[in-house]
Amino acid sequence: MKSLTLNQLSKTYFDPYKGTQVTALEDVTLSIAPGEFVSVVGPSGCGKTTLLNVIAGFLPESGGSVRVDRRPISGPGPDRGVVFQSFALFPWKTVLDNVGFGPKMRGVGREARDAIAMEYLQLAGLAHAADRYPAELSGGMQQRVGVVRALANEPDVLLMDEPFASVDAQTRLTLQEELIRIWLDRQTTVLFITHDVPEAVFLANRVVVLSKGRVMDEIAVDLQHPRKWDDLIENDSFKSLSARVLQRVRAA
Amino acid sequence: MIVKRANPQPGLWNKLQMAWVRLHQRWPNLAASLPFVPLVFSWWLTAWLEVFPRAFFPGPGDVVLSMISLIYKGILPEYLLDSVTRLIVGASTGVAIAIPLGVLIGMSRRANTVLWPPLLFFQAVGDIAWLPILLIWFGFGLTTMTFVIVYTVLFPVVLNTVLGIRSINPDLLRAARSLGASQARMIWEVVLPGALPNIMTGLRNGLGYGWRALIAAEIIVGTSGIGFLMFDARRAGSVVEIMLGMIVLGLLWYVVDAWILAPIERATGERWGMVTR
Amino acid sequence: MVSSGNNAGLSAHNSQLMAARVRSAVWFLIPLALLVVIWAGVVSLFEVNPRIFPSVTSVWQAGLESVFDGTLVRHIGASLWRIAVGTTIGLAIGIPLGIAMGVVPAVASFFSPLVRFFSVLAGIAWIPIATLWFGYGFGAITFVIFNAVFFVVAYNALLGVSSIPMQVRNAAASLGAGRMAMIFEVLLPGALPNIVTGIRTGMGFAWRGLIAAEMIATDLGLGYMLFTARDFYKTEVIVLGMVVIGLLWLALDRLLLAPLERVTTERWGMVRS
Repeated sequence: MKSLTLNQLSKTYFDPYKGTQVTALEDVTLSIAPGEFVSVVGPSGCGKTTLLNVIAGFLPESGGSVRVDRRPISGPGPDRGVVFQSFALFPWKTVLDNVGFGPKMRGVGREARDAIAMEYLQLAGLAHAADRYPAELSGGMQQRVGVVRALANEPDVLLMDEPFASVDAQTRLTLQEELIRIWLDRQTTVLFITHDVPEAVFLANRVVVLSKGRVMDEIAVDLQHPRKWDDLIENDSFKSLSARVLQRVRAA
Repeated sequence: MIVKRANPQPGLWNKLQMAWVRLHQRWPNLAASLPFVPLVFSWWLTAWLEVFPRAFFPGPGDVVLSMISLIYKGILPEYLLDSVTRLIVGASTGVAIAIPLGVLIGMSRRANTVLWPPLLFFQAVGDIAWLPILLIWFGFGLTTMTFVIVYTVLFPVVLNTVLGIRSINPDLLRAARSLGASQARMIWEVVLPGALPNIMTGLRNGLGYGWRALIAAEIIVGTSGIGFLMFDARRAGSVVEIMLGMIVLGLLWYVVDAWILAPIERATGERWGMVTR
Repeated sequence: MVSSGNNAGLSAHNSQLMAARVRSAVWFLIPLALLVVIWAGVVSLFEVNPRIFPSVTSVWQAGLESVFDGTLVRHIGASLWRIAVGTTIGLAIGIPLGIAMGVVPAVASFFSPLVRFFSVLAGIAWIPIATLWFGYGFGAITFVIFNAVFFVVAYNALLGVSSIPMQVRNAAASLGAGRMAMIFEVLLPGALPNIVTGIRTGMGFAWRGLIAAEMIATDLGLGYMLFTARDFYKTEVIVLGMVVIGLLWLALDRLLLAPLERVTTERWGMVRS
C-alpha cells in the first residue's frame, strides 16, 4: 500500500461559454497515509469530482503536484484504481472478463486472470454471476463488480467517485458495510468522494471538507471498527461527528 | 517551489473556442456547414492540380458555371420542380396508404399474422426490381415512377407505425376504453397520437428512401428530373452536370431533412416527453 | 468456469428453441403460400394475358429451365460476388475510418455533418458518375456497392464510438489499457451495435444499388436478367427474377444481418443512439 500526497494542487480551465478562467481547485494540500480511508465531502460544485479526476489522471493539473509514494503521477494508470458513479462496466464483457480486464492489460494469461477474477468476485459474493453480462445485474451488483474490478488490479490507491449515489438507499447501506469489510481485509489506501455526510463519516478515518475548490476543514473519525449501521445509527459519537461535518459543509 | 499559474487573460486558442461557441449558438446552420469548407477546398485543389484528367474530375468552379448556365436555360428549375413534385405526390399517396395499413396491422392480431410475412417479402423484393414489369404495364411515364415512390415509402412508414402502436402503454388504451371511447375514437384520440413520434420517424426514413427511389427511377426510366439530368449527362459524357446533379440532390435532401423533417420529429416527440434525447 | 445448468437441461432447452423457430417459420410461410394460391387462382380465372402477368406454372418452369441450363446460377453468382467484394472493401475502409473519426469528440462533431451528407447520397445516385469513371461492368457496379456500404458504415461507426460514455473509456485507461487495447477492447465492441445497424442499412442500399446498376450497366446479373426479359415480354422470367431477389435479400437480412444485430444489442443491453 502506498501513500497519496497532494501538494498545493490547483486546477483551472477556460470556459468558452463565459469567456473566463474558472478555478476548480486551489491550493489543495492533503496527505493520505498508506492504508488510510479518507472521505471528501462538500457542497455541489465544490470541486470534489474534479479533484478525483485530476488525481486519477483524467485531467492534467494546472499547478502543484500529485504523488503516489513520492512519485508524481502522469496520466491514468493501474496504480490508481477508480470506481465510477455510473459503474462504467464494459457492457460487452461478462462480469468475469470485466474483473479480469486489468490483469489482461498487464499481460496475465487467460487461466491465471480468470482465477484472480474469481477470487475477487468471491470476495464480493458475486461468484455465481461470473458469466452474466452487466445489463443482467442490478445496480448494487454492478457497483460491487466495479469495486472488485478496480481492486483486482491491486492498485496502490483506490479512488471512489460517489460510487453509491446511483444505488437505492437500502443497497447503499449494505454496500458501505461491505466496502469496510473489503478495506479491512485489503488495507487499501482509499480516497472516497461523496455528498452524503453520514456516509462519509461512517466509512472514513478522516473527513475532508472541500468548498469552492479549497480545503476548509479536516475532521478525524475515531470510531471503532468494524462499523455497522445498526450500532452506529444510535451512537452519540457518530451523531455528533456527522452533525459537525454537516455544519461545516453547510457553512461552506 | 514554483507554482504554475494559468494565464488569466484568454489566449488565442481560448478566443477561438469562444468564437466557435458563439457561432454555434447564434448561427447553428452556419456552424454545421463549416466542415464542408475543407472538403470543397480539397476538391478544388485536386481538380486544379489535375490529379485526374479535367474531363473526369472537374472543379467546383466548373460546376457552378454549369449550374448558372442550366438555371439560365430554365432546365435546372424545371427538372427540380419535376422531381420534387413527383416525390410529393408519391410520398403523400404512400403515406395515405401506409398509415391506415399500419394501424390495421398494429391493432389486429389476425391482420398481423396474414399481412406481416407478405409485407416483409415485398419489402425484400424492393422497388427497383418492379421497374421492368411496371414498364411493360405502364410504359415510361409518371405512373411508373409514382408507383415506385409509393412502394418505397410504404414500408418504412408501415413498419414504424406498427412499432409505434406496439409501444403504446397498454394502460392508455384501457383508460380510453373505460372512459367510453369507441374503437374509431380510440384510434383517432389515443392510438395515432401515441404512435406519432414513431410515425414521424417512419416518415422521415420513408422520404429518404423515396427520394433515392425517385432518382433511381429517373435514371433508368425518366424523361425529366434531376435523375434524368444525370443520366442524360452521362450519355453526353459530361461529368460536370452529373456532379451538379449529385450536389443538388444532396443539398436538397440535407436541407429538407435538417430544417423541416428533423424539427418536426423532435417537436412531436419531445413536446410530449415521449422521446428522450 | 461457472457452467449454467446441467447438460440434459441444456439440450431440452435447445430443442424447445428449435421447435419454436420451426413453428414461426411455418407461420411465416403460410400467408406467402396463400398468396401463391390467390395468384394461381386469379390468373386462371380471369384468363390473364401472359404478356401482362405470368401464371404460377410458367414461372416455375422458367425457374427450372434457368437452373438447369445454368443461367440463373451465373446471374446469382455474379450479383452475389459483386456484393461481396464491394461490401468487404467498404467495411475494411469504413469501419476503421469511422472509429478514428469518432475517438476525439471534437473531431467527431466536426466531421459528422460531412459524413452524413454523403451517406444520404449513397448508392444509386453514383451510378452515372461511376459508369463514366469506370466504364460499364464490374468496376462501376462494385464501386456503387462499396460507396453505399462505406459512407453508411463510417457514419454509424463514428456515431457508435462517440456514444461510448467517457467514464467507460476512462475506466479502461485507469485499468492500464494502451492504444491497441483501447481500440479492440473498448472502442470496437462499444461501437459494434451501431456498426451492425450501419452494415444492415448500408447493405440494403447496396442491394438496391446493385439491381439498379445491373439494369443499365452490364450484361450479367439479376438486374440485367430482369431488364432484358422486358424486351421480349417474358414476364415469367421477370417474376422469377423478382421472387429470387426477394428470397435472396430475405435470406441475407433475416438469417444473417438481423440475428447479428439482435445478438449485439440485446445481449449486451446497449441502446443504439
